[in-house]
Amino acid sequence: MLSRAAILSGQTSKSLVASCLRATSTSSLNNQVAKTDDKPTEVGFQRPVRQEPGKVRLGFVPEEWFQFFYKKTGVTGPYTFAFTLSTYLVSKEIYVLEHEYYTGLSLIIMWVYGIKTLGPKLAAYLDKEIDEFEKGWNESREEQKAALSDQIKDEEKNQWSVEGQNVLVEAKRENVALQLEANYRERIIQVYSEVKKRLDYQVEKQNIERRITQKNLVDWVVAKVRSSITPDQEKQNINKCINDLSLLAKA
Amino acid sequence: MAFGDYPIDYNPKAHGPYDPARFYGKPDTPFGQVKVGEIGSWLARRNKSPQAMMGAVSRAYWRWQHKYVQPKKAGIAPFLHVVFGSMAFFYMINYSKLTHHRNYKYH
Repeated sequence: MLSRAAILSGQTSKSLVASCLRATSTSSLNNQVAKTDDKPTEVGFQRPVRQEPGKVRLGFVPEEWFQFFYKKTGVTGPYTFAFTLSTYLVSKEIYVLEHEYYTGLSLIIMWVYGIKTLGPKLAAYLDKEIDEFEKGWNESREEQKAALSDQIKDEEKNQWSVEGQNVLVEAKRENVALQLEANYRERIIQVYSEVKKRLDYQVEKQNIERRITQKNLVDWVVAKVRSSITPDQEKQNINKCINDLSLLAKA
Repeated sequence: MAFGDYPIDYNPKAHGPYDPARFYGKPDTPFGQVKVGEIGSWLARRNKSPQAMMGAVSRAYWRWQHKYVQPKKAGIAPFLHVVFGSMAFFYMINYSKLTHHRNYKYH
């Protein structure tokens, strides 16, 4: 209900009140109307849109009337018709040229002058007012839309960074796997060295045991041999040695 | 149908938001396309109840409103319509008095 004409005639406040009343009235049909957000089902019935102002000539005569004449009479037809009709009406005094006619004539001259001089300025001023008014109504909606699209952008960025997190987790997993592998190898080496140590110990122990046994055996055999030598044998031996020595001395 | 109700033919589900300038009944041939011989039957088909006549006037008023008053960048045309319309109306209702101001006896 917002238009230049409405601002001029102070209709905006009235229409606001009317729309409030309509919005708050509780008849069932009104509620039904308020709920019809979806498109009309019947063909040819579209949601009404605000029209552009109808074209007029001479400030107020609808363009359609001229178009009605145009097909039959061409461009000058309607003017000719108006002129001849008024000539007829005036000459027969069906239209009486009384004092009010001249008042009207002077009023029309003043109106035309006023509209031609003040009209463009007033139109520019009212256009500015309308744009501001409309902006005022749209502002919060536009802001909300911008905020929501910002939020969507943030959300998309978050999703993107979460995807990055996936890569990071993958890398961490790989890292952990590497650590596990390293640990595993370290333990294998540990096991190997421990086993080697034990085996070396066994080898050493067996060597030592063998050596000791050998030594013991040798000692035992020597002891046995020693103990088996009798004093008689010793005497014979010494005598033999002396004999040998004497033989040697003779030679 | 009481005062302030929507027309009976209007169905919000089928027609969408209410447009006061629209006729929701079954459309007949537009008057501009009626042949001269059929004007009688066309007139006979019209609903001449007071409600229907008021409805027609109301639709015409809203059509005028939507075309000249409600557009965002409406011009001075609607004001001049009211001015010239009231000029014609008051000229007509005062015509019997105005005829006394005739200047010529013979035409």
